[in-house]
Amino acid sequence: MKTILLIEDNADNAKIAMRALKPHGYRLLHASDGESGLTMAMEEKPDLILLDLGLPDLEGQTLAALIRGSPEIGRVPLVAVTAWPPDTASQMAKAYGCDGYISKPISPRQFPSQIAIYLEEGIDDAVE
Amino acid sequence: MQLNNLPRSAADSRTPAPNSRKCGNGKGWVICPLPDEPSVRLLSAIQFTYNELVAAYNQTRVDYIVPMPMNATRLQEYVHTYDVDLELSCVGMEGEHILGLAMLGVRPGHTWVTRLGVLPVKRRRGTGQLLMECLIEQARNLDVGYVTLDVIKHNDPALRLFLKLGFREMRELMVIRRPPGPPANGIGPYKVNLFDYHHAVALLHQRRTIPSWLDERESLLNAGNLSALRVELPTGDWGWMVYQKTVFQLARLVLQTEAGDPHRVGLALIHALHALHPGLDTKSENLPLDCPHWPAMQEMGYIESFRRIEMRLDLA
Repeated sequence: MKTILLIEDNADNAKIAMRALKPHGYRLLHASDGESGLTMAMEEKPDLILLDLGLPDLEGQTLAALIRGSPEIGRVPLVAVTAWPPDTASQMAKAYGCDGYISKPISPRQFPSQIAIYLEEGIDDAVE
Repeated sequence: MQLNNLPRSAADSRTPAPNSRKCGNGKGWVICPLPDEPSVRLLSAIQFTYNELVAAYNQTRVDYIVPMPMNATRLQEYVHTYDVDLELSCVGMEGEHILGLAMLGVRPGHTWVTRLGVLPVKRRRGTGQLLMECLIEQARNLDVGYVTLDVIKHNDPALRLFLKLGFREMRELMVIRRPPGPPANGIGPYKVNLFDYHHAVALLHQRRTIPSWLDERESLLNAGNLSALRVELPTGDWGWMVYQKTVFQLARLVLQTEAGDPHRVGLALIHALHALHPGLDTKSENLPLDCPHWPAMQEMGYIESFRRIEMRLDLA
Protein backbone atom coordinates (compact mmCIF):
# COMPACT_ATOMS: atom_id res chain seq x y z
CA MET A 1 0.00 0.00 0.00
CA LYS A 2 1.45 3.37 -1.03
CA THR A 3 1.65 6.14 1.53
CA ILE A 4 0.79 9.71 0.60
CA LEU A 5 1.56 12.64 2.87
CA LEU A 6 -0.55 15.73 2.35
CA ILE A 7 0.86 18.92 3.87
CA GLU A 8 -2.03 21.38 3.80
CA ASP A 9 -3.09 23.91 6.41
CA ASN A 10 -6.63 24.49 5.21
CA ALA A 11 -8.89 21.92 6.85
CA ASP A 12 -11.54 22.09 4.13
CA ASN A 13 -9.02 21.62 1.33
CA ALA A 14 -7.41 18.75 3.20
CA LYS A 15 -10.77 17.07 3.72
CA ILE A 16 -11.63 17.30 0.02
CA ALA A 17 -8.26 15.87 -1.00
CA MET A 18 -8.34 13.04 1.54
CA ARG A 19 -11.91 12.16 0.63
CA ALA A 20 -11.00 12.01 -3.05
CA LEU A 21 -8.05 9.70 -2.43
CA LYS A 22 -9.54 7.46 0.27
CA PRO A 23 -11.37 5.03 -2.07
CA HIS A 24 -8.14 4.34 -3.95
CA GLY A 25 -6.48 2.34 -1.23
CA TYR A 26 -3.68 4.64 -0.26
CA ARG A 27 -2.43 5.12 3.25
CA LEU A 28 -3.11 8.80 3.79
CA LEU A 29 -1.27 11.07 6.19
CA HIS A 30 -2.05 14.70 6.82
CA ALA A 31 0.04 17.46 8.36
CA SER A 32 -1.43 20.92 8.82
CA ASP A 33 1.80 22.91 8.93
CA GLY A 34 5.31 22.76 7.58
CA GLU A 35 7.12 21.73 10.73
CA SER A 36 4.88 18.76 11.47
CA GLY A 37 4.90 17.93 7.75
CA LEU A 38 8.67 17.74 7.70
CA THR A 39 8.73 15.64 10.86
CA MET A 40 6.09 13.29 9.48
CA ALA A 41 7.91 13.01 6.17
CA MET A 42 11.16 12.07 7.93
CA GLU A 43 9.45 9.52 10.19
CA GLU A 44 7.11 7.93 7.67
CA LYS A 45 9.12 8.24 4.45
CA PRO A 46 6.01 8.38 2.27
CA ASP A 47 5.86 7.38 -1.39
CA LEU A 48 4.56 10.81 -2.37
CA ILE A 49 4.38 14.22 -0.72
CA LEU A 50 1.67 16.68 -1.73
CA LEU A 51 2.75 20.12 -0.61
CA ASP A 52 0.63 23.23 -0.29
CA LEU A 53 2.92 26.16 -1.10
CA GLY A 54 1.15 28.51 1.33
CA LEU A 55 1.73 27.24 4.86
CA PRO A 56 1.35 29.11 8.14
CA ASP A 57 4.79 28.46 9.58
CA LEU A 58 7.41 27.42 7.03
CA GLU A 59 6.76 28.59 3.51
CA GLY A 60 6.06 25.80 1.06
CA GLN A 61 9.08 26.66 -1.07
CA THR A 62 11.38 26.58 1.93
CA LEU A 63 9.92 23.25 2.97
CA ALA A 64 10.37 21.89 -0.57
CA ALA A 65 14.02 22.94 -0.42
CA LEU A 66 14.45 21.22 2.95
CA ILE A 67 12.86 18.03 1.67
CA ARG A 68 14.98 18.04 -1.47
CA GLY A 69 18.11 18.68 0.57
CA SER A 70 17.45 15.78 2.92
CA PRO A 71 19.42 12.55 2.34
CA GLU A 72 16.52 10.56 3.85
CA ILE A 73 13.60 11.91 1.85
CA GLY A 74 15.23 13.95 -0.89
CA ARG A 75 14.17 11.50 -3.61
CA VAL A 76 10.51 11.16 -2.60
CA PRO A 77 8.23 12.45 -5.37
CA LEU A 78 7.11 15.92 -4.37
CA VAL A 79 4.14 17.69 -5.91
CA ALA A 80 3.20 21.32 -5.21
CA VAL A 81 -0.50 22.03 -4.73
CA THR A 82 -1.17 25.69 -5.30
CA ALA A 83 -3.66 28.33 -6.42
CA TRP A 84 -0.91 30.32 -8.13
CA PRO A 85 -1.35 31.10 -11.83
CA PRO A 86 -0.03 28.22 -13.99
CA ASP A 87 3.07 30.06 -15.23
CA THR A 88 4.17 31.01 -11.73
CA ALA A 89 3.24 27.62 -10.27
CA SER A 90 5.18 25.80 -12.96
CA GLN A 91 8.24 28.01 -12.58
CA MET A 92 8.18 27.83 -8.79
CA ALA A 93 7.64 24.06 -8.69
CA LYS A 94 10.48 23.45 -11.12
CA ALA A 95 12.87 25.84 -9.35
CA TYR A 96 12.25 24.19 -6.00
CA GLY A 97 12.72 20.65 -7.27
CA CYS A 98 9.09 19.55 -7.28
CA ASP A 99 8.14 16.82 -9.73
CA GLY A 100 5.13 18.83 -10.77
CA TYR A 101 2.22 20.87 -9.50
CA ILE A 102 -1.54 20.50 -9.19
CA SER A 103 -3.74 23.58 -9.38
CA LYS A 104 -6.17 24.52 -6.63
CA PRO A 105 -9.01 24.16 -6.22
CA ILE A 106 -8.50 20.48 -6.85
CA SER A 107 -11.04 18.50 -8.81
CA PRO A 108 -12.05 15.50 -6.66
CA ARG A 109 -12.71 13.53 -9.84
CA GLN A 110 -9.36 14.21 -11.48
CA PHE A 111 -7.24 14.33 -8.35
CA PRO A 112 -6.67 10.54 -8.00
CA SER A 113 -5.44 10.20 -11.57
CA GLN A 114 -3.25 13.29 -11.19
CA ILE A 115 -1.72 11.67 -8.11
CA ALA A 116 -1.29 8.25 -9.68
CA ILE A 117 1.03 9.68 -12.33
CA TYR A 118 3.51 10.63 -9.65
CA LEU A 119 3.28 7.25 -7.99
CA GLU A 120 4.27 5.65 -11.28
CA GLU A 121 1.18 3.56 -11.54
CA GLY A 122 -1.99 3.73 -13.58
CA ILE A 123 -5.19 4.85 -11.99
CA ASP A 124 -6.74 1.43 -12.52
CA ASP A 125 -3.97 -0.20 -10.56
CA ALA A 126 -4.40 2.27 -7.77
CA VAL A 127 -8.12 1.63 -7.33
CA GLU A 128 -8.91 -1.27 -5.09
CA MET B 1 -18.96 57.22 10.96
CA GLN B 2 -17.67 59.12 13.95
CA LEU B 3 -14.18 58.06 14.69
CA ASN B 4 -12.59 61.31 15.75
CA ASN B 5 -12.74 60.36 19.39
CA LEU B 6 -10.83 57.14 18.99
CA PRO B 7 -7.88 56.96 21.34
CA ARG B 8 -4.59 58.13 19.86
CA SER B 9 -2.77 55.16 21.26
CA ALA B 10 -2.89 52.66 24.03
CA ALA B 11 -1.31 55.24 26.29
CA ASP B 12 -3.76 57.96 25.33
CA SER B 13 -7.29 56.74 25.92
CA ARG B 14 -9.68 59.61 25.61
CA THR B 15 -13.37 60.07 26.09
CA PRO B 16 -15.24 57.71 23.79
CA ALA B 17 -17.48 59.06 21.04
CA PRO B 18 -21.25 58.83 21.56
CA ASN B 19 -21.38 55.68 19.47
CA SER B 20 -18.34 54.07 21.05
CA ARG B 21 -17.54 52.72 24.47
CA LYS B 22 -14.53 51.56 26.36
CA CYS B 23 -14.30 47.86 26.99
CA GLY B 24 -14.70 46.13 30.26
CA ASN B 25 -11.09 44.94 30.33
CA GLY B 26 -9.83 48.51 30.15
CA LYS B 27 -8.24 48.00 26.74
CA GLY B 28 -9.33 49.04 23.31
CA TRP B 29 -12.49 50.61 21.98
CA VAL B 30 -15.74 49.71 20.28
CA ILE B 31 -17.47 51.66 17.53
CA CYS B 32 -20.90 51.18 15.98
CA PRO B 33 -20.34 52.80 12.59
CA LEU B 34 -23.77 52.11 11.10
CA PRO B 35 -26.61 53.48 13.25
CA ASP B 36 -29.17 51.47 11.30
CA GLU B 37 -27.13 48.26 11.76
CA PRO B 38 -26.14 48.29 15.43
CA SER B 39 -25.02 44.66 15.26
CA VAL B 40 -22.06 45.72 13.11
CA ARG B 41 -19.25 46.98 15.32
CA LEU B 42 -15.60 47.86 14.92
CA LEU B 43 -13.43 46.79 17.82
CA SER B 44 -9.83 47.43 18.68
CA ALA B 45 -7.76 44.37 17.76
CA ILE B 46 -6.09 44.51 21.18
CA GLN B 47 -9.22 42.90 22.60
CA PHE B 48 -8.49 39.66 20.74
CA THR B 49 -5.89 36.99 21.30
CA TYR B 50 -3.31 36.23 18.64
CA ASN B 51 -5.02 32.90 18.07
CA GLU B 52 -8.34 34.64 17.44
CA LEU B 53 -6.78 37.20 15.14
CA VAL B 54 -4.83 34.65 13.13
CA ALA B 55 -7.84 32.38 12.74
CA ALA B 56 -9.86 35.30 11.38
CA TYR B 57 -7.02 36.48 9.17
CA ASN B 58 -6.50 33.03 7.63
CA GLN B 59 -10.22 32.79 6.92
CA THR B 60 -10.21 36.13 5.12
CA ARG B 61 -7.41 34.95 2.82
CA VAL B 62 -8.61 31.47 2.11
CA ASP B 63 -9.50 32.24 -1.52
CA TYR B 64 -6.57 34.53 -2.29
CA ILE B 65 -4.15 33.66 -5.08
CA VAL B 66 -1.36 34.22 -2.58
CA PRO B 67 -3.08 33.33 0.71
CA MET B 68 -0.01 33.74 2.95
CA PRO B 69 -1.51 31.99 5.98
CA MET B 70 0.05 32.53 9.39
CA ASN B 71 0.04 30.94 12.79
CA ALA B 72 -0.11 32.82 16.08
CA THR B 73 3.68 32.84 16.47
CA ARG B 74 4.20 34.27 13.02
CA LEU B 75 1.54 36.91 13.55
CA GLN B 76 3.20 37.91 16.79
CA GLU B 77 6.55 38.23 14.98
CA TYR B 78 4.83 40.20 12.23
CA VAL B 79 3.31 42.63 14.72
CA HIS B 80 6.72 43.15 16.31
CA THR B 81 8.73 43.40 13.09
CA TYR B 82 6.42 45.84 11.38
CA ASP B 83 5.45 47.95 14.40
CA VAL B 84 1.80 47.04 14.13
CA ASP B 85 -0.23 48.79 16.82
CA LEU B 86 -2.98 46.38 17.82
CA GLU B 87 -4.69 49.04 19.89
CA LEU B 88 -5.21 51.10 16.73
CA SER B 89 -5.91 48.10 14.52
CA CYS B 90 -9.44 47.14 13.83
CA VAL B 91 -11.70 44.06 13.82
CA GLY B 92 -15.17 44.20 12.25
CA MET B 93 -17.82 42.19 14.06
CA GLU B 94 -21.42 41.27 13.38
CA GLY B 95 -22.91 40.01 16.57
CA GLU B 96 -20.33 37.56 17.86
CA HIS B 97 -18.85 36.80 14.46
CA ILE B 98 -15.77 38.40 12.96
CA LEU B 99 -16.41 39.92 9.55
CA GLY B 100 -12.90 41.05 8.82
CA LEU B 101 -9.90 42.87 10.15
CA ALA B 102 -7.26 45.43 9.26
CA MET B 103 -4.03 46.36 11.00
CA LEU B 104 -2.10 49.58 11.30
CA GLY B 105 1.67 49.88 11.46
CA VAL B 106 2.81 53.09 13.13
CA ARG B 107 6.18 54.79 12.73
CA PRO B 108 7.28 58.40 13.03
CA GLY B 109 5.61 60.45 10.33
CA HIS B 110 3.69 57.71 8.60
CA THR B 111 1.51 54.66 9.03
CA TRP B 112 0.95 51.48 7.06
CA VAL B 113 -2.20 49.48 6.48
CA THR B 114 -1.73 45.73 6.43
CA ARG B 115 -3.53 42.39 6.79
CA LEU B 116 -6.79 43.87 5.54
CA GLY B 117 -9.26 41.11 4.81
CA VAL B 118 -12.94 40.32 4.92
CA LEU B 119 -14.42 36.82 5.11
CA PRO B 120 -15.37 35.67 1.60
CA VAL B 121 -19.05 35.23 2.50
CA LYS B 122 -19.21 38.69 4.07
CA ARG B 123 -17.77 40.69 1.19
CA ARG B 124 -19.49 43.32 -0.96
CA ARG B 125 -21.25 44.83 2.05
CA GLY B 126 -18.85 47.69 2.69
CA THR B 127 -16.97 46.06 5.57
CA GLY B 128 -13.58 46.56 3.91
CA GLN B 129 -14.33 50.24 3.42
CA LEU B 130 -15.44 50.63 7.06
CA LEU B 131 -12.21 49.01 8.25
CA MET B 132 -10.12 51.20 5.97
CA GLU B 133 -11.91 54.39 6.99
CA CYS B 134 -11.33 53.47 10.61
CA LEU B 135 -7.58 53.04 10.07
CA ILE B 136 -7.30 56.25 8.02
CA GLU B 137 -9.01 58.10 10.85
CA GLN B 138 -6.60 56.55 13.33
CA ALA B 139 -3.73 57.78 11.17
CA ARG B 140 -5.21 61.29 11.01
CA ASN B 141 -5.46 61.33 14.79
CA LEU B 142 -1.77 60.50 14.98
CA ASP B 143 -0.97 63.59 12.87
CA VAL B 144 1.19 61.60 10.48
CA GLY B 145 1.88 62.84 6.96
CA TYR B 146 0.71 59.84 5.00
CA VAL B 147 -0.54 56.26 4.98
CA THR B 148 0.96 53.58 2.75
CA LEU B 149 -0.10 50.07 1.87
CA ASP B 150 0.91 47.30 -0.52
CA VAL B 151 -1.76 45.53 -2.55
CA ILE B 152 -1.08 42.34 -4.47
CA LYS B 153 -1.13 43.05 -8.18
CA HIS B 154 -4.33 41.86 -9.88
CA ASN B 155 -6.35 42.10 -6.65
CA ASP B 156 -8.62 44.50 -8.50
CA PRO B 157 -11.45 44.83 -5.94
CA ALA B 158 -8.95 45.90 -3.29
CA LEU B 159 -7.19 48.23 -5.70
CA ARG B 160 -10.51 49.89 -6.59
CA LEU B 161 -11.35 50.37 -2.91
CA PHE B 162 -8.02 52.01 -2.18
CA LEU B 163 -8.30 54.32 -5.20
CA LYS B 164 -11.81 55.26 -4.07
CA LEU B 165 -10.44 56.17 -0.66
CA GLY B 166 -7.88 58.49 -2.24
CA PHE B 167 -4.78 56.31 -2.35
CA ARG B 168 -2.57 56.65 -5.41
CA GLU B 169 -0.27 54.10 -6.99
CA MET B 170 3.40 54.78 -6.30
CA ARG B 171 5.37 51.87 -7.80
CA GLU B 172 5.44 48.14 -8.38
CA LEU B 173 7.37 45.90 -6.04
CA MET B 174 8.46 42.30 -6.53
CA VAL B 175 8.63 39.41 -4.12
CA ILE B 176 11.55 37.33 -5.32
CA ARG B 177 13.00 33.95 -4.42
CA ARG B 178 15.98 31.79 -5.11
CA PRO B 179 16.11 28.09 -4.24
CA PRO B 180 19.18 26.79 -2.41
CA GLY B 181 22.26 26.00 -4.41
CA PRO B 182 25.74 27.29 -5.07
CA PRO B 183 26.05 30.31 -7.32
CA ALA B 184 26.84 29.97 -11.01
CA ASN B 185 30.47 30.13 -11.98
CA GLY B 186 31.85 32.57 -14.48
CA ILE B 187 31.85 35.63 -12.27
CA GLY B 188 35.11 37.51 -12.48
CA PRO B 189 37.40 37.89 -9.48
CA TYR B 190 36.34 40.07 -6.59
CA LYS B 191 37.41 40.70 -3.05
CA VAL B 192 34.84 40.15 -0.31
CA ASN B 193 34.66 41.39 3.28
CA LEU B 194 32.12 40.04 5.76
CA PHE B 195 30.57 42.21 8.43
CA ASP B 196 28.61 41.62 11.62
CA TYR B 197 25.27 43.00 12.79
CA HIS B 198 26.62 46.35 13.97
CA HIS B 199 28.32 47.05 10.68
CA ALA B 200 25.16 45.97 8.85
CA VAL B 201 23.16 48.51 10.83
CA ALA B 202 25.71 51.21 10.00
CA LEU B 203 25.44 50.36 6.30
CA LEU B 204 21.66 50.71 6.41
CA HIS B 205 22.15 54.32 7.46
CA GLN B 206 23.92 54.85 4.13
CA ARG B 207 21.12 53.45 2.00
CA ARG B 208 20.09 55.77 -0.83
CA THR B 209 17.07 53.90 -2.19
CA ILE B 210 13.57 54.51 -0.85
CA PRO B 211 12.47 51.40 1.01
CA SER B 212 8.95 50.13 1.39
CA TRP B 213 7.59 49.59 4.89
CA LEU B 214 8.69 45.95 4.84
CA ASP B 215 12.33 46.81 4.30
CA GLU B 216 12.59 50.10 6.12
CA ARG B 217 15.44 50.19 8.60
CA GLU B 218 13.03 49.75 11.50
CA SER B 219 11.71 46.52 9.98
CA LEU B 220 15.19 45.15 9.45
CA LEU B 221 16.33 46.05 12.95
CA ASN B 222 13.20 44.55 14.48
CA ALA B 223 13.64 41.39 12.41
CA GLY B 224 17.23 40.99 13.58
CA ASN B 225 19.84 38.40 12.49
CA LEU B 226 21.43 40.90 10.13
CA SER B 227 24.79 40.47 8.46
CA ALA B 228 26.52 42.30 5.66
CA LEU B 229 29.17 41.86 3.03
CA ARG B 230 31.11 44.15 0.76
CA VAL B 231 32.62 43.30 -2.60
CA GLU B 232 35.30 45.10 -4.54
CA LEU B 233 36.17 44.32 -8.15
CA PRO B 234 39.59 44.80 -9.77
CA THR B 235 37.99 47.55 -11.87
CA GLY B 236 37.33 49.57 -8.74
CA ASP B 237 33.59 48.87 -8.80
CA TRP B 238 32.30 48.17 -5.32
CA GLY B 239 29.17 47.83 -3.25
CA TRP B 240 27.62 46.23 -0.21
CA MET B 241 24.72 44.08 0.80
CA VAL B 242 22.82 43.73 4.07
CA TYR B 243 20.78 40.57 4.59
CA GLN B 244 18.99 38.55 7.22
CA LYS B 245 20.07 34.98 7.88
CA THR B 246 17.82 32.63 9.79
CA VAL B 247 17.99 28.86 10.24
CA PHE B 248 16.20 28.05 7.00
CA GLN B 249 16.32 31.21 4.96
CA LEU B 250 18.18 34.24 3.70
CA ALA B 251 15.90 37.24 3.45
CA ARG B 252 15.56 41.03 3.41
CA LEU B 253 18.33 41.72 0.91
CA VAL B 254 19.44 45.33 0.58
CA LEU B 255 22.01 45.93 -2.16
CA GLN B 256 23.84 49.11 -2.94
CA THR B 257 26.47 49.90 -5.54
CA GLU B 258 28.80 52.61 -4.27
CA ALA B 259 30.95 52.87 -7.38
CA GLY B 260 30.86 51.44 -10.87
CA ASP B 261 28.35 49.27 -12.68
CA PRO B 262 25.40 47.96 -10.60
CA HIS B 263 25.20 44.86 -12.77
CA ARG B 264 28.80 43.83 -12.17
CA VAL B 265 28.58 44.72 -8.49
CA GLY B 266 25.24 42.93 -8.19
CA LEU B 267 26.66 39.75 -9.70
CA ALA B 268 29.58 39.79 -7.28
CA LEU B 269 27.37 40.51 -4.26
CA ILE B 270 24.93 37.74 -5.07
CA HIS B 271 27.73 35.33 -5.91
CA ALA B 272 29.42 36.06 -2.59
CA LEU B 273 26.18 35.62 -0.65
CA HIS B 274 25.33 32.23 -2.11
CA ALA B 275 28.90 30.97 -2.06
CA LEU B 276 28.75 31.68 1.65
CA HIS B 277 25.30 30.11 2.22
CA PRO B 278 24.70 27.61 -0.61
CA GLY B 279 22.23 25.51 1.37
CA LEU B 280 19.73 28.22 2.21
CA ASP B 281 16.52 29.19 0.47
CA THR B 282 16.27 32.93 -0.25
CA LYS B 283 13.29 35.24 -0.26
CA SER B 284 13.27 39.00 -0.51
CA GLU B 285 10.19 41.18 -0.49
CA ASN B 286 9.37 44.45 -2.19
CA LEU B 287 12.24 44.88 -4.58
CA PRO B 288 11.33 47.80 -6.86
CA LEU B 289 10.75 46.82 -10.46
CA ASP B 290 13.44 49.23 -11.59
CA CYS B 291 16.07 47.99 -9.14
CA PRO B 292 19.38 48.19 -11.04
CA HIS B 293 20.57 44.93 -9.45
CA TRP B 294 17.58 42.86 -10.55
CA PRO B 295 19.05 41.71 -13.90
CA ALA B 296 22.12 40.42 -12.07
CA MET B 297 19.92 38.68 -9.51
CA GLN B 298 17.98 36.97 -12.28
CA GLU B 299 21.21 35.77 -13.83
CA MET B 300 22.10 34.26 -10.46
CA GLY B 301 18.89 32.25 -10.23
CA TYR B 302 16.33 34.58 -8.69
CA ILE B 303 12.75 34.33 -9.87
CA GLU B 304 9.79 36.61 -9.41
CA SER B 305 7.13 35.17 -7.14
CA PHE B 306 4.48 37.88 -7.38
CA ARG B 307 4.10 41.63 -7.47
CA ARG B 308 2.61 44.23 -5.21
CA ILE B 309 1.58 47.79 -5.89
CA GLU B 310 2.68 50.30 -3.30
CA MET B 311 0.01 52.94 -2.65
CA ARG B 312 -0.01 56.13 -0.65
CA LEU B 313 -2.59 58.48 0.82
CA ASP B 314 -1.30 61.92 1.81
CA LEU B 315 -3.00 63.28 4.90
CA ALA B 316 -1.36 66.66 5.20
